[in-house]
Amino acid sequence: MSAVHQFKDNPCRPRHFKPPPCAPVVPDGPARRALDGGRGRLLVASTAFVLLFAIIAGRLVQVTLFPGAVTVPYIARFHPAPPPPPGRADIIDRHGKLLATTLDSPSLYADPRQITDADEVARKLVATLPGLDRAQLQVKLKSRKGFVWIKRHLTPDQEYAVNQLGIPGLQFAHEERRVYPYGSLLSHAIGYAGIDDNGLAGIERGLDNQLRGRQEPVQLSIDLRLQYILHEEMQRVFDDFTAKGAAGLIMNVNTGEVLAMVSLPDFDPNHPDMPDPNHPNVPIAQRMFNRVTLGDYEIGSMFKIFTTAMALDCGATTMTGRFDATNPIHIGRFTISDYHGKRRWLSVPEILMYSSNIGEAKIALAVGGVRQQEYLRRFGLLTSPTFELKEIGRPHFPDPVHWREVNVMTIGFGHGISETPLQLASAAAAMVNGGVLRQATLLKLPPDDAPQGRQVISPETSAHMRKLFRLVVQYGTGMMVDAPGYVVGGKTGTANRVIGGRYSADRVRSSFVGAFPMTAPKYLVLVMVDDPHGTKASHGFATAGWTAAPAVGRTIVRIAPLLGVQPVDESSPAVVQALMPVSLQGKRIEAY
Amino acid sequence: MIRLSTLFWLILVSATGFAMFAVKYEVQALADQLAHTSRQADDAERDVRVLDADWAYLNRPDALAAMNQRYLSLLPIATKQLIASVADIPMRPPPPPPVEAAAVVAETTPQRGGSLVPSGPVAAQSPASAPAQQSATPKPIAQSPAPVAAAAVQARAPASEPARPILIKAAARHNPAPRVRSLDALIAQIAESR
Repeated sequence: MSAVHQFKDNPCRPRHFKPPPCAPVVPDGPARRALDGGRGRLLVASTAFVLLFAIIAGRLVQVTLFPGAVTVPYIARFHPAPPPPPGRADIIDRHGKLLATTLDSPSLYADPRQITDADEVARKLVATLPGLDRAQLQVKLKSRKGFVWIKRHLTPDQEYAVNQLGIPGLQFAHEERRVYPYGSLLSHAIGYAGIDDNGLAGIERGLDNQLRGRQEPVQLSIDLRLQYILHEEMQRVFDDFTAKGAAGLIMNVNTGEVLAMVSLPDFDPNHPDMPDPNHPNVPIAQRMFNRVTLGDYEIGSMFKIFTTAMALDCGATTMTGRFDATNPIHIGRFTISDYHGKRRWLSVPEILMYSSNIGEAKIALAVGGVRQQEYLRRFGLLTSPTFELKEIGRPHFPDPVHWREVNVMTIGFGHGISETPLQLASAAAAMVNGGVLRQATLLKLPPDDAPQGRQVISPETSAHMRKLFRLVVQYGTGMMVDAPGYVVGGKTGTANRVIGGRYSADRVRSSFVGAFPMTAPKYLVLVMVDDPHGTKASHGFATAGWTAAPAVGRTIVRIAPLLGVQPVDESSPAVVQALMPVSLQGKRIEAY
Repeated sequence: MIRLSTLFWLILVSATGFAMFAVKYEVQALADQLAHTSRQADDAERDVRVLDADWAYLNRPDALAAMNQRYLSLLPIATKQLIASVADIPMRPPPPPPVEAAAVVAETTPQRGGSLVPSGPVAAQSPASAPAQQSATPKPIAQSPAPVAAAAVQARAPASEPARPILIKAAARHNPAPRVRSLDALIAQIAESR
């Protein structure tokens, strides 16, 4: 309105100038109301648009001027923050050597609907990928399915060769595959994972949940170098004495860490189902059987260390105690006699040194059945051990209700009770390490952080046991250990195998547990040979002194430098003094 | 006026449009590059995994043992080789006071003649021979290095007589081991000195 007025009132308005047409004056009425309503709607709409634009402008400012969380999703689309995680964590040894890893491996599949000439494709594929069955492949390729596996887990070379064929309808699926670079060296400790990445044995099975979808590797207590040495020495004993099986273990006596673990015959975890060229006639189930943790064996004389330790600890006898081992013991239908009897009264150290069954049976009687059970339970010998593997055997022993006198005696020298080598090693470690029983573990423990453990015998008894261990190797059944300088102590064990429900006279199970250096034991080596056969070199003997003890000696000589154990002069007065029982000092000791 | 402003806005709009597309394509290119690089990184990581496994496989103890047998013939350390430790080796005794040597130098330096110093292999050996000879006669200077080497060059030593005092001085200061030219000679020398 004002604009119209302006033109009208302007005296200088040129004549020809026509004022611009202005809105017609709408008189009040329905038209006017409609117009007003239209204006109102226009206002609302324009306000809405202004608001929207304000929001967009605000967002623009936010995105461009304040780089924050808003920019990340865009980048993230192109770079997934964590690289594609391996389906399964690596396993490394205590020094970081790669023991098991997961690699990408292509698997070949086909879509038969896209394949025109199945015979030709089958011919080409068989020529490229050895090990395929041509007839079977033709049937697969002619089927009406949309998906058939041709071969899983190809090598990179094979993948390239198949790509070179250029056959439409063939596709690769990227799968993951578990690889064990050291093959059969660690078969029972690591075990293996199946084709679908699920752990089926060993630590792969025992720690399956931890290994799945984890980034950082799992570190074992195994030392690859020790494992190799033990494996080699065990293989030697196994072959030399044509044994049926063998088990070996190296343990840190002060922490319970298992540094090496060998069970023979073994298998290659890369191809667990393939026949092994080294043991062509051994069935797979036997090769997979973990003799260290799953097998439980009557171990024989090695058990005498526990009987002697409990007798000394509970005061049933002392280091100077003497027992009559002149005549065999007849009890019921059993006769307990000595393998290599001295036929005289023997002192406690002599009973262990010469491995007298009669003497040890009498010591066990002095301890008594109730205390014997209590101590064995304390040593962890009446329950299954706790370990990271699932392949854990449990000990077999008489029902406590029927734990009769004859059981007390036979258990005293290791018959009528069966234990896994693993729990024997843990218990033997407790005998020499000051009397503390620690759980065996396959995982590396942080240095200087030994688990608490349980005091099972007094430190004084443990000191006595160290001396007795040493005497066995110096003068007793373990003289063949022959690892001069490392002050080895140990105990042999030769048990008669049970064949057809009866103890066989000539088939044995030989074992030796040794610890070194006896002045302050650090490591323990346990070797068990199942059903060894005497050789010319061993003068036909298959007993522990001739089979397991030399193997332990050879192992110790090789591993001690790696473990940083300094050899000492064993004849030096300081060493002799420290390890000779007071009662025997200055006396001539009769050798075994 | 109207045309000018229209033109201005037109240019501005087309400029921003152009700039926007330019930036968009640049971002796209960068995104492609990023995807490519991250794919490469993933591939590299996968390769590293394969190589790690390969390395572990090649370092199998039995393979190393076989190679040792073939190329090196190294044997495990025998226990008797470990009986002594580094701590058992005595420390080197303190060098003797350099005064005596300096006195000798003062006496003989004027006679030094460069022309008389022999050249060639004798010159190379003389540092060994000279102090050894000196130590053999009047008083021991430091530890006498390799008497065998000294004996070998004794015949030639008189030729280098005038140069000797200087060499003594050097010997007193540095206490040098006899210098040898090759590793074989060094090993031979060590073997002889045992």
